Amino acid sequence: MNLPNLLIPLMVIIPITCALFLNLLHEKSRTVKAISMVVAIAIPIIPLLANYGVQFFGGYPPLIQNPSIATGLPEIITNTALYSFHPAITYVFGSAQRLMVFILGMVALFVIFISLYEVKKPSGVYIYLILMGTASIFAMLLSDDIFNLYVFFEIAALAQVGIVLVSKVKGNYETALQYMIVGSIAAPMLLLGIALLLGVTGNVNISDIVFSIKTGLVDPHSPVLLMACALIIFGWLYGTGLPPFHTIKSAMYSKALPTGAAVLQAFSVFSLVALGVIIIRIFSYLPFAHVFIVAISLIAMVLGITMAITQTDFKRLIGYLAVGELGYIGIGLGLGTTLSITAGLFQAVNEAVITAFLFIGFGTIMYKTKETDMRKLGGMLLQTPKSALLVLLAGLALAGVPPFNAFQSKLMLVQSSLNAGFPEIAIIMVLLSIVTFMTFMRAFHTIYLRPKPAALEIKNEKIPNVTIIAMVIFLGICLVFGLYPQLATNMLQGLAISIS
Amino acid sequence: MNIYDIILKKIKEVRMETGDDEPVSNISASSMLTAEITLISSLLIGVLLLRHLNTTLMLVLIVLIFVMVFYAMPIMPRLKREQNDSLASMNFYVIIALGIIVTLFFWGRF
Repeated sequence: MNLPNLLIPLMVIIPITCALFLNLLHEKSRTVKAISMVVAIAIPIIPLLANYGVQFFGGYPPLIQNPSIATGLPEIITNTALYSFHPAITYVFGSAQRLMVFILGMVALFVIFISLYEVKKPSGVYIYLILMGTASIFAMLLSDDIFNLYVFFEIAALAQVGIVLVSKVKGNYETALQYMIVGSIAAPMLLLGIALLLGVTGNVNISDIVFSIKTGLVDPHSPVLLMACALIIFGWLYGTGLPPFHTIKSAMYSKALPTGAAVLQAFSVFSLVALGVIIIRIFSYLPFAHVFIVAISLIAMVLGITMAITQTDFKRLIGYLAVGELGYIGIGLGLGTTLSITAGLFQAVNEAVITAFLFIGFGTIMYKTKETDMRKLGGMLLQTPKSALLVLLAGLALAGVPPFNAFQSKLMLVQSSLNAGFPEIAIIMVLLSIVTFMTFMRAFHTIYLRPKPAALEIKNEKIPNVTIIAMVIFLGICLVFGLYPQLATNMLQGLAISIS
Repeated sequence: MNIYDIILKKIKEVRMETGDDEPVSNISASSMLTAEITLISSLLIGVLLLRHLNTTLMLVLIVLIFVMVFYAMPIMPRLKREQNDSLASMNFYVIIALGIIVTLFFWGRF
C-alpha cells in the first residue's frame, strides 16, 4: 500500500529549512550551536523511524493506483500508458535508501558536531552549507524524478563550492572557482541529456522512462537516446569526481577543512550511487554503457591510487585515494549482476564511513600543527597517541584488511568479477588494494613514526573529545559491518535485484 | 643508468619545470617508482580484458604497450605533470573526454 509517509519528505525538508534559518543567525553563536545540534541528531534518526513507501509531491498517485480519479476521463488517458504514468514528483524510500540516508546522516552529524567544537565561534554559514548539501544528496537518493534529481545535483554542487570557499585554506578560492568553471561545462551537458530523454520519452519520471523503453513505446536505439546516455554519463563523471574530473575533485577535498572534506567525499560517493543506479536502470539494455562504466572505474582506480602515492600533502593523498576507491563502486555497478551491484552499493556505504573517518583522523594533525605537508611533519605519535591508533585502524579498513567492512565489500567485488568471467578486474582490484595499503602506511610512517622535525610547531591544545568519539563510532560501524556484513547487504540487495 | 637513477633524474626535471626547490628524497623517488610499476602492471592486466573482444587485438596491444613503455619510461613524472591543477589543463581533458564519450555512444551505436 502506498500510504503517504510524512517522514519521507521531512528527510529533505528539515535540513533545508534549518539550513536557511541558520544562515540568518550566523552571528548568534549559541543559537546556531543549539539548533545545529538538534538538527544534526535528527538527520540520521528520521530514516530509522520512517516507514518504507512512496511519496508523491505536487500531484497524485498514478491513475492505475487510484481508479476513482480516472472516472470520466477520456479513453486516450485510461486506455494508454498515461494510465500508469506518474504525474507527481515521486520519492521512493526502501531499505537501501534507509541505509544510505542513515550513513550520510551519521557523517553529517559528526561533521557538524566536530565543526561546532573545534571553532570558538560556530559559523551558521558553514552549517548551512553542510545541511544544504546533505539535504540535496538525500533528495538525489530518494527521487524517482530525473529533473528533480538534477535540481538537487546543482544545489549539492553549489554547497560543495561554498564549503571550500569558507575553509580559509590557502588557494581555496581558486580551486572553488575552477570547480565552478569545470561544472559550467559538465552540468549543462547533464541537463541537456535529461532534456533529450524528456524529448524522446515525454517523461521525467524514471520508472516511466524505463517503462517506455522496455515496452517499445520509444525506440531504444534512437540516436537521441544514445546521445542522452552519453551526456548523462558525462554529468555523472563530474558529480562524482571520476576521470577526467578526478584532479579537481581531489583538489576540492584538499582545499576544504577536514570536516568539510569528510562530508564532501560522502556527497561524491552517494552522488555516484544515485546517478549510477539511474543510468543502470534506464540504459542497462546498452551493453556499451556497462563496458564504459567498468572502463572509467578502472581508470579512476589506477589514476587515483597512483597519483595518491606521489602526493606530499596528506589531504590531497586521501583525496586521491577516495577517488580511487570510487572506482570499486563503479565496477560493482558496471558489472551489472545482482552480486556485483550489492557489493558496489556496500562498498559505497563503507567508503563514505572510512574516508570520513580518515579525513577527521588526519584532521587532528591539522588541528595540532596547522600543517598538511608531510615533508614538514613527524613524531605525532607522542602528541596524539589515541587518534594515531584510530587513524591506523581507519587506514587498515580503507585497504580492505579484515575484520573491517571494506574487506567484506572488496571480497564480494572480487567474487562478483570472477563470477562474471573477468579475473583481470579481480587481479587489478587486489593489486590496487595492496598499493592503497602501502600508500597509507607511507603517510602514517611519515606523520606519526619518524622523528619530529625541529621546525615543526605543535599547538598545546587537547583534541576535542567529540572528535575522538566520532572516530570511535566510525570504527564501530566499520567493525559491525565487517563482522556482520549481512546487516548491510540484506538492505541493499532489494535495490540490486531491481536494477540488475 | 638503472631505472632508479632514470626516475630520480626525471623527478628533478619535473621539479625544475614546476619551480619546486625541495630536494628529491628517497621517499619521493621510491613512491614514483612504485606508482610507475603499479601503472604499468595495471595497464597490462587491463589490456588482457580485450580478449573478450578480439584475441589478436589484445596481443597486438600488449606488444605495443611493451614497446611504448620501454621507450617512454618513466611515465609517472609525465603523468603527474599532466594531472596538475591548472584550469587550462583540466578544461582540455574535460573537453577531450566529452568528445570521446559522445563519439563512442552516438556514432558507435553499441
